[in-house]
Amino acid sequence: MVEPLKIIIVEDEALLAMELESLVEDAGHQVVGWATSSTEARRLVDTLEADLAFVDVHLTDGPTGIGVAQYISEQKRSMVVFMTANPKRIPDNFAGAVGVIAKPYTVNGVMAALRYLQEGVRRPPPVSIRPAGFSLSPHYKDAWRPG
Amino acid sequence: MDHGTTKEDAEAWHQTDNLHAKSGKGDPFAAAIRATRMSMIVTDPRQPDNPIVFANNAFLRLTGYDRGEVVGRNCRFLQGVDTDPEAVEQIRAAVEAEESISIDILNYRKDGSSFWNALYMSPVKDEKGVLQFFFASQIDVSDRKASQDLAEADKERFERAVAERTSELKAALEAKTTLLHEVDHRVKNNLQMVSSLILMQSRSIADESIKASLKAMLERIEALSTVHRRLYQSDDVSSFDVADFVRDLVTDIVAASGRKDIDADLQLKPVRIPAAKAAPVALIVNELVTNALKHGFKGERPGTIHIHVRDGDGRLRIDVADDGAGMVGEPSAASFGTKLVRSLSRQLQAEIEWQEGSPGTRVVLSMPVETARKGEH
Repeated sequence: MVEPLKIIIVEDEALLAMELESLVEDAGHQVVGWATSSTEARRLVDTLEADLAFVDVHLTDGPTGIGVAQYISEQKRSMVVFMTANPKRIPDNFAGAVGVIAKPYTVNGVMAALRYLQEGVRRPPPVSIRPAGFSLSPHYKDAWRPG
Repeated sequence: MDHGTTKEDAEAWHQTDNLHAKSGKGDPFAAAIRATRMSMIVTDPRQPDNPIVFANNAFLRLTGYDRGEVVGRNCRFLQGVDTDPEAVEQIRAAVEAEESISIDILNYRKDGSSFWNALYMSPVKDEKGVLQFFFASQIDVSDRKASQDLAEADKERFERAVAERTSELKAALEAKTTLLHEVDHRVKNNLQMVSSLILMQSRSIADESIKASLKAMLERIEALSTVHRRLYQSDDVSSFDVADFVRDLVTDIVAASGRKDIDADLQLKPVRIPAAKAAPVALIVNELVTNALKHGFKGERPGTIHIHVRDGDGRLRIDVADDGAGMVGEPSAASFGTKLVRSLSRQLQAEIEWQEGSPGTRVVLSMPVETARKGEH
């Protein structure tokens, strides 16, 4: 059995954060923190151990999710996955993130993405097929090329 | 008339002048030049400062000077404050190179008024190629210049107006695009919220039949979500590839069912439909595939579900076939799913038919697709 993931959620919509937490736990992983703004998010990643952060582009303090992703990626302790209804706002280099789950996602889409990401975090590259609702950044497309 | 000219050839012009004046005979070419309405002069480059040695009456009329005031002087007395130094330099260079030149230059009359002079000047050489004179003609083209200036001013005004309008349109388009993205973003977020609400509600419900209804409702909303996720990904927002979202949709439904014993056979040709038709088509496909999974492969019955998308004769055709348990006749008209499929088919002006496969069921949907749409390849 592959070890479950510790996950941080950076999302300003409480409803979506709650629902995502349920999905993450249904899939056998653990949510270790939830932030609604970029300031909170930075504090969380400084104090918590996490494998993965789901980051929305729009937070309570504006379109600051990109900066949060950059910050987390530079710390190199957690991987970042964007979760946004606005994937066009993500820069070409994905601010160091692994990829993006485009909203609105489906339950199965998130479950499949979690399986894929668990493999990618624990034993890269992932062996599962990349789910339809999940796109990889150019860097990870290369690094996780099925081989 | 003594103009201080000493050279023999310069004298020759005066001799013809005199000859003509005296007898009316002489060189017919010289006579023509003297009499023509076109202003003409001859200068002698072999004398210091290349002075005028002959000027016809037309030149005197044009410039307002007497003959005695011009002969013996260099032509530069025609220049004034607004004469373009660049034009003067071009003329000077032509004289130096012994070449002909045709140029518009602003000149001044004796009374100080200015006129546009279409100057033509060329060297006159003897049979050995040695420079003898310069011949120059002048035409007053002030009227042409004025209408040219007007036309240029008109053109500039026009171009400015076009540029202004273009930038207005660009700004309007930008505002429209921004608005579209904003609305799109909200629609997507709200769809996500609706899904989340239904999911959370269903978690708190114990009754299995209510749970199943909520699950069916969630699947329908997720079908809409799948369409919307694809909707503004391409630059063409007005039309939509059925194959793209059917692939996403069916893969997701089959995977979500957790039925590893069911294969999906997707044969999808790209068919573009107007964006407004994408949601009803997605909902129909969702119902048909969900039904096949639920009823065709009830229990542990394994099998394959075939989904074909193609176009022909301006119609989109979607086949959903399974090799499951099959059904007798058309599905019960009472179920909400069936009603939904029938109503949406009517809306799309689609023909839909349930056929008995052997084994299983085949549903065939055929609907018109407008041609000659924007963004069609």
